[in-house]
Amino acid sequence: MVGLQEGMCPGLDGGLLRSLLAADVKTVEDLVSSDLEEVAQKCSVSYKALYAIRRVLLAQHTAFPVSGADLYDELLSSTAIISTGNPSLDKLLDSGLYTGEVTELSGGPGSGKSQVCFGVAVHVSHQLKQRVIYIDTTGGLTASRLLEMLQSETSDRDEQMEALQRIHVFRLFDAYSLRDRLSTLRSGGLLQASGGGSVKAVIVDSVSAVISPLLGGKQNEGMSLMIQAALALKTMAKDFGVAVLVTNHVTRGGRGEVQPGLGASWSHIPRSRILLERTDRAPSGCSSTLRSATLIKSSRQPCLIKEELDLQWWSRSERRSSGKRKRDEADS
Amino acid sequence: MNESGTQLLARLEARRCLKDIEPRLFAEDEGPRHGEVVELCGAEGTGKTELLYHLLCRCVLPEAAGGLEVDALFVDTDYSLDMLRLVSILDSRLSSAGLEEAALRSSLSRLLVVHCSSSSQLLLTLHYLETTLNSRPSLALLLIDSISAFYWLDRCEGGASISRQEEKLSKCAELLGRLLRDYKFTIFATCHTIRRSCSGLAASRSSTLEADRPYLCRPWQRLVTHRVLCSRQEAENHTAGGSREEKRQVFRVHCSSSSSRTKASRISSFCVTDAGVQFI
Repeated sequence: MVGLQEGMCPGLDGGLLRSLLAADVKTVEDLVSSDLEEVAQKCSVSYKALYAIRRVLLAQHTAFPVSGADLYDELLSSTAIISTGNPSLDKLLDSGLYTGEVTELSGGPGSGKSQVCFGVAVHVSHQLKQRVIYIDTTGGLTASRLLEMLQSETSDRDEQMEALQRIHVFRLFDAYSLRDRLSTLRSGGLLQASGGGSVKAVIVDSVSAVISPLLGGKQNEGMSLMIQAALALKTMAKDFGVAVLVTNHVTRGGRGEVQPGLGASWSHIPRSRILLERTDRAPSGCSSTLRSATLIKSSRQPCLIKEELDLQWWSRSERRSSGKRKRDEADS
Repeated sequence: MNESGTQLLARLEARRCLKDIEPRLFAEDEGPRHGEVVELCGAEGTGKTELLYHLLCRCVLPEAAGGLEVDALFVDTDYSLDMLRLVSILDSRLSSAGLEEAALRSSLSRLLVVHCSSSSQLLLTLHYLETTLNSRPSLALLLIDSISAFYWLDRCEGGASISRQEEKLSKCAELLGRLLRDYKFTIFATCHTIRRSCSGLAASRSSTLEADRPYLCRPWQRLVTHRVLCSRQEAENHTAGGSREEKRQVFRVHCSSSSSRTKASRISSFCVTDAGVQFI
């Protein structure tokens, strides 16, 4: 609700404002939806003046329709696909994270969600040389782990430092600061936060850690905070052309099957959803780093396709992995 | 209220009736007529948005490709419009009808898209809609995805009183009712469910009914004349062209029409392919 204020538009001076308030027209919505002839009579102003004010206020506050052809052209030029760095995950996501969309990664404890987020952050900052905003709500991010992952990509100290500098970390531990931080980022703080560079990925690990304690019970504030944070993420993704990756916990559904948490209202927010699980099979000693990822919601691929991820070798680049395997074989 | 000649004509001239927009979805001869509202409800992943794209394509495509050639306005409240997917559906339908690139441009120019980020902005945008309706006499379809996007935000803002919580959406619904009566177009709106239906062993019919129960304000429920409930069935095995068996996700729609004439309902199923929705 936007309140009426003096000087909001030409013609809305103090005297007219006072008579409108006296006639119980306090907000822009009231003025726009009221019967102008009646209000003109009550406030003894000319119908023409009120009509002109209404037209200007509508023009200031409405969203304007865009033709489908223009929107499509704009999307073609601004959408990019950010590779996650892991070829199996890319295949699942139809070649990577799309900018302008929210992708969700859900899984139980120890299923590797944070590791996947680290891998994506390291890949975007090192290989793609773009900035990343990482919002950590669980305290699981350590710079030493990021450095370790970078060291397996390159041995040049300067490159490692540069890549670390491109990852901007915000630590928050409650839902209100999350909402406030996202609103600040959305209304222009994105450029400031990244020091002027172009941000291509925003990772929130995890959304459910701060929101789920507020859900349930009879109060609505938790749901409202969740939707506000979700809208801020979506608007940020669309307006700034960034790819948003969020993580979520899991719960059990009615039939005992594993499903992502945060309820039915959150389930409409992400465009694509992936479920991470530990694999049951145990090949010779490497079972701890294998995970299976299932695509449970996508607008581009048939659902329920599975891929296996090995968290140990994130990028699996040909040159590096063959080099490391030879060294391992020589060791063992 | 004084209006100009063009406005009068735009109001009185009949807009294209969308009764035949999808005969496989609605019961016999029960398609949406002038001034009717169809609500698509369902949980996440039940094909509502795909169905919306299917209906949208049917409207904007040229007659040679099986469309109705009418203008459509898409009100996007939760940034869920995937233009790339929409264009790929249009493209595959146009190429199967043998038309080229220029037809895609002209189809897209019949579509108008508006983003709203709060229910106040939605209300103001609907007021502005009147100007758009006057200037485009071929605008016959308004799609809203989704009408329930601001439900929790409004409930929290309204505090303890239910009437204050529902105030904004009621105003939108009343305004839409007046516009429907005056300009006689059709509305399709999606509404997300807010409760998961537990489909365990102990589930009874009542729990699924509770999940599908309408929860938006009364003025909106009075406006709705057709209700389409979407749900997802178990993925069934299906032999594709070769001998390879693959799982195909089948969606089920239950459409119940409760307009003043009759009460009718129909159940149909569809699956989603690259070319959009295909009814089975």
